Amino acid sequence: MKWIALIVGCIFGVAAGTASALAAAGILGPGVRLGGVVNADGWQSDWTVGSPSANPWTRAYIARRGLLALTKEEAVYFTRAKDDSGRQLTENCTYRVSGKAMPALWWSVTLYDATNYLPENTDQALSYDLTKATEAGQAENWSFITSAEPPSEGNWISSRSAGNFDLTLRLYKPDAALIDNPESVLPPPSIERLSCRSQS
Amino acid sequence: MRGFLVGLGAFVVTFALAHFVVLNAVPGKIMSKVRERMMANGLPMQHWQMTPRVSPENQRVVRPAPDLAYAICVIDLTDGPVELDVPSWNAYGSLSVFSARTDNVYAGSLDARAAGTPEIRRVVVATSKQDVSAAGDAEIVRVEQPEALALIRRLAPTQEAYDAAAALMPESLCKPL
Repeated sequence: MKWIALIVGCIFGVAAGTASALAAAGILGPGVRLGGVVNADGWQSDWTVGSPSANPWTRAYIARRGLLALTKEEAVYFTRAKDDSGRQLTENCTYRVSGKAMPALWWSVTLYDATNYLPENTDQALSYDLTKATEAGQAENWSFITSAEPPSEGNWISSRSAGNFDLTLRLYKPDAALIDNPESVLPPPSIERLSCRSQS
Repeated sequence: MRGFLVGLGAFVVTFALAHFVVLNAVPGKIMSKVRERMMANGLPMQHWQMTPRVSPENQRVVRPAPDLAYAICVIDLTDGPVELDVPSWNAYGSLSVFSARTDNVYAGSLDARAAGTPEIRRVVVATSKQDVSAAGDAEIVRVEQPEALALIRRLAPTQEAYDAAAALMPESLCKPL
């Protein structure tokens, strides 16, 4: 009887341990972040990304979702999947994303679908960045629209074919103050939901 | 009751073992698969190759940045250290090295506007026991395993900037030391 219990325990233990590890890495399900998480008004990051000091959960999660990410001294990455009211970002809705000057040499905002890839569309409106903001005279106070169809005017990131998505804010060569105190130094961009298409 | 406790104990021990063995293996496996996929797509070992301008049709890794021009070199240190020579860039740029476990073990600026950025950044990648006496004044990057990846990122939000970044590739080296 003890041998049967031992074998059954081992089989279930190996299966559950393997499944939980794959789930933590985001291979099965959305993945798990344990420790090191920075949260600036819903924009989430992890200061141990790319670092040898990252815990095994973060290392596995980033390998799956952000392979070849740089350490925080070179670049930091913030991701947000919800609007200002806490609702999941979706291509069925139109959003205005607004922000101020960022504490970094250069920054960009890019849209990714639920599989962590750029959405499969040909709109050539994948991201918005400091270069575009400067050209638009908005480096200090910028905004753009995210929607499945292009707006009548203004800056745009296309969410066509994205389904549920998130936005990643990349800051290259971040200021030392941001690295030291991200949650109070980052001016978090707002994501305002403007309208939604009716679901048929 | 005793049988239940034995089963529970076996479950807890094997759960923890399997969890950490798999968790620690995931980054290396993913990196290994990426290397294999790149080489299957014709990327030669120890050679810089510019990736096409990022678009939804040609994404090779998760979450690529469409504003950057990337060049990648797949490194194998089995036969000795590898030298990387990379010219600077007139905007944001970096040279980075990643270990087989996905750690970003080195990042150096290529931004010519930043203080201290050399005209050509020269780095030698080696395992912990390899001789690097021939490296001269190059920066030395040590990794534990012979498999590594080097990546050039250059800010290139337009086709013109991407073309200018591509024009620098003949001056860039990734070769045995």
